This record gives sequence, structure tokens and C-alpha cells, in this order.
Amino acid sequence: MQPDSATLQRVLTRALGAGDFADAFYERRIARSFRLQDGRVHEAGIVVSSGVGIRVISGERAGYAHCDDLSEAALLATAKVASLIAKDRTARCDVAALPSRAERAASRYGPLEPETLRAESATYVDFLARADVAARAHDPRVRSVLAFFSSEMQEVAIATSEGRYVTDRRPLVTFGVQCVAAGRERGTGFYGDGGRTSVDYFVTHAPEEIAREAARIACVNCDAVETPAGEMEVVVGAGSGGVLLHEAVGHGLEGDFNRQGQSLYSGRIGERVASDLVTIYDDGDLPGERGSLAVDDEGTPGAHKVLVENGILRGYMHDRHNALLMGSASTGSGRRQSFRVMPQPRMCNTYMPSGEATYDEIVGSVKRGIFATSFAGGQVEISKGDFVFMLAEGYLIEDGKLTAPVRGASLVGNGPEVMNRVTMVGNDGRLAGRYYTCGKGGQYVPVGVGMPTVKLSSVTVGGSGVA
Amino acid sequence: MPDGLELAGHVVRLATAGGADAAEVTYTEADRFSTEARDREIAKLERSTARTLTLRAFARGAKATLATSDFSPGGLAALVAETVDAARFVGDDPHGGLPDAFAAGVDAAALRIFADDVRARADEAKIEDALALERLARECDPRIVNSGGSRVADTTVSLALANSRGFAGEYRQSQASLGSNPIAHDGAKLRTASYGTAARAYASLEPVPSVAAVAARRAVEMIGARKPATARCPVIFERDVAAQVLGDIFAAINAANVAVGNSFLAERIGARVGSDLATIVDDGRLPGGLGTSPFDAEGVATQRTVVMERGTLRTFLYDTYYARRLGARSTGNASGGGIGPSNLYLSAGTRTLEEMVAATPRGVLVLETIGFSTESVTGTYSRGARGFAIEGGALAYPIDEFTIAGNLAEMLAAIDLVGSDLVFDQPIVAPSFRVAEMTVSGT
Repeated sequence: MQPDSATLQRVLTRALGAGDFADAFYERRIARSFRLQDGRVHEAGIVVSSGVGIRVISGERAGYAHCDDLSEAALLATAKVASLIAKDRTARCDVAALPSRAERAASRYGPLEPETLRAESATYVDFLARADVAARAHDPRVRSVLAFFSSEMQEVAIATSEGRYVTDRRPLVTFGVQCVAAGRERGTGFYGDGGRTSVDYFVTHAPEEIAREAARIACVNCDAVETPAGEMEVVVGAGSGGVLLHEAVGHGLEGDFNRQGQSLYSGRIGERVASDLVTIYDDGDLPGERGSLAVDDEGTPGAHKVLVENGILRGYMHDRHNALLMGSASTGSGRRQSFRVMPQPRMCNTYMPSGEATYDEIVGSVKRGIFATSFAGGQVEISKGDFVFMLAEGYLIEDGKLTAPVRGASLVGNGPEVMNRVTMVGNDGRLAGRYYTCGKGGQYVPVGVGMPTVKLSSVTVGGSGVA
Repeated sequence: MPDGLELAGHVVRLATAGGADAAEVTYTEADRFSTEARDREIAKLERSTARTLTLRAFARGAKATLATSDFSPGGLAALVAETVDAARFVGDDPHGGLPDAFAAGVDAAALRIFADDVRARADEAKIEDALALERLARECDPRIVNSGGSRVADTTVSLALANSRGFAGEYRQSQASLGSNPIAHDGAKLRTASYGTAARAYASLEPVPSVAAVAARRAVEMIGARKPATARCPVIFERDVAAQVLGDIFAAINAANVAVGNSFLAERIGARVGSDLATIVDDGRLPGGLGTSPFDAEGVATQRTVVMERGTLRTFLYDTYYARRLGARSTGNASGGGIGPSNLYLSAGTRTLEEMVAATPRGVLVLETIGFSTESVTGTYSRGARGFAIEGGALAYPIDEFTIAGNLAEMLAAIDLVGSDLVFDQPIVAPSFRVAEMTVSGT
């Protein structure tokens, strides 16, 4: 049972002590999943995360403690541990009165039905079986199919020493399929979809379609040739190409790195950081997307943020603590993996709006290069801005046309340098399949990415073929 | 806090009474402390106890699992019932179920995985260490102008495992770690470095000044780095990145991947897949090892397993399920619902890193990689990297923004020098080694 307002009030009072701010984050998350392999349901799983995390902020310092025991005695003991961060201070702040009932955050999620595992397990299992059949029927080269379905509901309540008290119910469904195909060589393909909505999403986004996309990618990859190595023109495909924005720019705009002067974007608001074709948004307010939040994990509403506009840096993404220290306001970007960890400034759904070029114009302009259809993931180093992306599907471009698929390619470069080399932006902007998860400091949260087709005039492509 | 074995036994009985043919419950209590210093101040201080209960329930070999932090009596009973019920939707599986044999008579003390100094050391001393690490790293070089923080963290874990075949076992383990992230400025660019170390006891940790010095050196040695030319040449992996390569190879020796055709080493048992210098061992009984335990996540005794012997693949790493499926015996590697390494290492050679560089007329020394692989099916390897160009057997200049690419099978076969610098400061470790030829992609 969620602690009531009066209990939270006493807990926050114990926590705050001589600190500037305290908050309590209650969570009860239940995720139910089924996994298929070898043509049958292989495993069912339930994961429950239930507890309270208490944070005390004192200047630049933060103290944190959590507990899974929701009794008042345990919560008060936890509050006392969190308060140690401010023990050498003598200032005294008062805890504002919490309302007796929490405000319920206005939902940004898709339509939701009450659910029970018993009622829906048969549906989930049916999805998996249909995906398995569809993937194998797509192409005889498909040798193995792994599929998983997961449905979770996270209930949170956030209470702060400033008197904010808000609750949110966040659904998340995910359907993913991985195929291995055997042709000239073995190839793998993965695709997934879902979002912050109900299982009904898969009525219009059928498991068969997701499975066929995974099978298609696996079959493409078993005919792949070695990727050429060296600097060349690269076209990044619409949708999943948004991973580029997430890594090459997004992380560098998170408030913690900028407050501490660790990011190469620190202190550069208003300066040119990309070609004038580049505009980047982060949005926590897109219905149903994986990264959307009615309120973030500090109780701030999810919002649309302009990060870069026509190449000019416009703003950072802030949680409450870093915003306060930088004299700014939270942008609704305070997120955490669970009650066991402190929130960090994080991305929600990061994307670039459409430009004017057509896909054909972009690809047709490349003499010799790589088309990066989709990325399996990426990583960035914040201070210097060096990034790497691993391609999940990619092709050679020769004389303006896609030719052979390539295997095992990665792109490596420097964030601002590459964003200054954006020379064409397509009119086909869209969000990627809803299956991306972002890791930072050991915490994993669901995110969305999106982009139109974009041309980069020069990127280092890391393959094993030397031209 | 409840008695761990008693709670585990109670939940096993709940599951079997609720209709499970077999059940296994693990209860862990982890006391965690961490602090982070930045500049001259403590920035973060965290202390908590995390309790987790996991259940594996079987019906006709079909498996359903639960992991929960809800220990309220009513909540727990409802979740156990729901888990047992979920197994109805899972296919019958002749290979599913509990192991047939369990660990017995293990001298847990001899494994040296629990040290009293982790809990006994005062918070103030740990905070002092974090402040000292941060200060020393910054003082090492005037070009170090900032930091992502210096951390001291530790955890002590009590684990109890019980199952419906009557196995009941428990042990305690501890771990302490130090890490620092200094940032150097070379006049134009910031460069972050990272170095950390871990051990079972504070007393056996690499000393604070040494950790600070390594972290600082890593930050400043990259100043002035440029892109190398694209070429095929020898690549030396320094021990930390060598361990990451071994981590990628682990995916291919994981029997769960082998069973579904997701490994480039499937069907290669007995075959020569590496060079003479490639001996890979997984040792769950290494005294003081960070991956050491008396029994694995199913209660099966851990063991020392030679995975690859002078280039010949001897075995994969198994839990009970995949051992049954592939006609083998569990190697005691059940971990976290799947298969995991215990202490996985590449056997040490005789060369120092300096000697390996001296033996390389032209090549690349890799000190750090970024990116990760998803290609255990083909072994395709491609990473972003930083390090040094080697010319005339000496480090010539720092290089970054390049990739190294190859194939894990070809890399194993092309290991032609192995260092003596094997240190067990992570669960997966390797000495520095050289691969005779890979593709370096820069300009």
C-alpha cells in the first residue's frame, strides 16, 4: 500500500533536516512477460519493483536511501539515512503542507484497460505464436526465432518538501522479435514495437508485421558483404537514424554534464553547434511513445523542448537539482530506473523534424558511401563528443543507388563535427519503432528516437574491408 | 529482517502447495554504500539495503519466474500464486526442472569472498578515500581541470537458496570498489578518462594514490590525439580492453546462445579455433575472485572449467537446462536466470606490455573502446577506439576517432603475443594481448 499523505509529510520532515529540499518517490511496478524460442513459449516471468526512495538535497550535495518496507517506522529510518548529507549544516527549512490527496497527472498515454494476467496471458501467448509462424513463413532461410512480449504498469507517487504531491500510472508494452537466418552466411535481425499504451496497440500493429520485419533484416544480413573502411559520405535512414541525435547531441545536452562543465556543449547556449539544417527536439509529451511521461520522476510534467534550432543551441534538459543550481527550471527530464536510484536528467523522445529534400535526391547525390538504414545502438563520450554507432542494417551506395548490404559496420565520429556535416535533410521524418532503451550511469529507461533521412558529407566508417 | 533460508523455504512450500511440481527460491539482502566526491566536496552519499526474492516454479518442465521486492505477506503469497499459474501458458519441456545434484560440503571461508573490513570500515574513512582520490587525480597534472567525480562504493550480500529437492545453502560475499573520472583540457578539447578497480576487501584494493595516478595518466596521455590512417596492422589490446574482448567471446561460449544457433562457435567443440596462446578458463572457485561463489544460482557446485586449451575449444559454459538440451553436464554457471561467467580469464603469457610494443614495428595499441557488439552469430567485431600509434617498436603518438574491425574467430586465431599483466580485479579479466592483423579505420 502506498503511504498516505500524513505519513509522507512526517517522512519528509524527518528527511529535510537542514537540507534545501527533500522528496520521496513511491513506486510499484509490475512487469509480466512471456518469451518464445524453438517455436514454443519457453518462459513466463513477473518482475515486481515496490518501495520508496528518499532524497535530500543540500547545495550541490545529494543524499539518498531507499527501502522496500512501507511501514512508517522503516520510512522514517530511511529518511534519517538520507538526511545525513546535510548533517553538518545548521540552516532550517520548513516542509510545506502536502495536500491530503495527491493530484493525478493528466495522462499522455494511449487508452488503458484494467488488466489481469489471467485474462490476458492467452492473448500474449497467441501474439508470440503468430510471430513465430509469420517469421518462418517469410523466408525459408529463417532458422531461429526468439520473441518476447512484456506488459508493465508502473504506479508512482512523488511528494516533495515544497508541497507537491502527484501520482502517475504509466503503462508500457513491448513486443520484440529476433531472427537468425542462414544463407551464404548467418545474419541476425531484430525489430520491436509497443509503447506507453495498452495491449490493443497490437491490433493495428500486428505481431506478424513485427516478425516479418525482423526476418527481413536477418535475411538481408546473411547476404551482407564486408563493410569498406575509411571516411566517406553516409546517408542515415529515417526513423531509427534518430539514435544519431540521441548519442551525438542529446547526451551532451543533459543538465548534469553541463552544470559540471563536463560536456563540450557547456556554456554554449545561443552558439552554432550544427549545420543550419539541424533542428532537434526532445519531447515527453507525445501520446503513447516509450519516452513519454505525464510527469517525470520528480513530478514535473513532460514537455516539448527545443534543443537545437537551425543549428543554434537553444537549451539543455534538466532535472530539478541541476536546474536549480544553474538558475533554470526543470524541463521534466528527471528520470530514474527505479526507487532504488536517484533521478538523473535524461532524454524522453528525441527527434529531428522533416526538411525539404526527397529520399531520392539524397541517395541520388552520393557517388560512393554507406546507407545506414537502422542502428543496433550507440555510445558517446560526453566531454570530447566522440561517438560510435553500430549498424543493424546498412547498404553500400554506388552511383546514387543502394547496392549490396554490408555487415558489421560501425560509424565513428565527433558529435558537433558530424552535425556540422549535415548537408541534406529529408521530408520523410518519422519516429522509429518503439523499442529503444537508454543507459546512463547504470540506469536504463525507455526512450523514443526519430529522424528524417539525412545526409552526412563525411563520417569514418569502421568495417574490415580496406579499399 | 527475516531469516533468509526460512523465508526461502516458506516460499518454496507456497509454490508447491499452489501446484508447482518443483520450485527454487533465492533471497538476497544487499547492504550498499556509495559516495562520490567532486572537486573538494562530497556530491553524493547513498546507503540502503536492497532485498530481492526470486522464484523459479516448474510445472511439467514449464518454467515461470518471479523477482520481487514486495515482502508483505499478502503481496508475496498473491505473486507466488500468479507465478505458478503463469506456467500454464508455457510449453511442456522435457529439459526443464531443478538440477539432479547440488553443491555439498563447500568450505565457503576458504573461498575468501567475504571480508569483515567492508562493513567495519567507517563511513568517514570511505568518504575520506573518495575525497583523496578526487584530489590526487586532479593534482597529478595541471592539465586536469575538471572531473566526472571519484567514487568509493561497497556492498555486502547475504544469499540464501532453497528448493523443493531439499537443497538449502547460504553464503555471504562482499565487494569494495574505487573509481575516478578526471577530465583533461588540452587548450581546445576536453578529454574524460576513467579508471576503476574492485576487490572483495578494502584491504586488498589497489591503493587510492595508484588509482588516481592511472586515471590521471589516461586523461592526459590522449592530449593531441589525431585520427590514424586506415590500414591493416597488428593491434595490441591493453588489459582492460582485452577483458572486454573476452566478454564478447563469452557470448559465443554461452550454451544458451549455442543452443539457438546464436554463436559462431556452435558445433566447434574439439576444433582448433584459437592460436596456441589462447587458453580460456572459467574458475568459480578462485579464492577471493569477484566471480567466485560456493554454488551457482541453481545450487550446483561451481568449478574450474577449461573452455579453450591452447586454441582448442573444449566446452561451452552451461546451466542445468542447456546442459540437458545439448547433452552435457552443468558447469555451475547458472546466473541471474541465464548463464553467466564466474571468473572468466585468458591465461597469462610472459611478456610485459612494453615488450609487446617493442616487438611491434608498426601497429596500434588500444587503451579504450566504445560501442558494443550484437553479432555473436558471426563473430563480426567493430568498435570505436582510442590509443597509441606504434612506430618502430615504440609509442609514437596518441590516436582517437578510429575503429578497429575484424572477426572474433579470426582474432582468436591471430593472438600472437600475450602479456603477463593478468589481474583479477573484475569477474572477466585478460592480460594484454596482440592480434597479428586487424583493420584500423581512420582517415
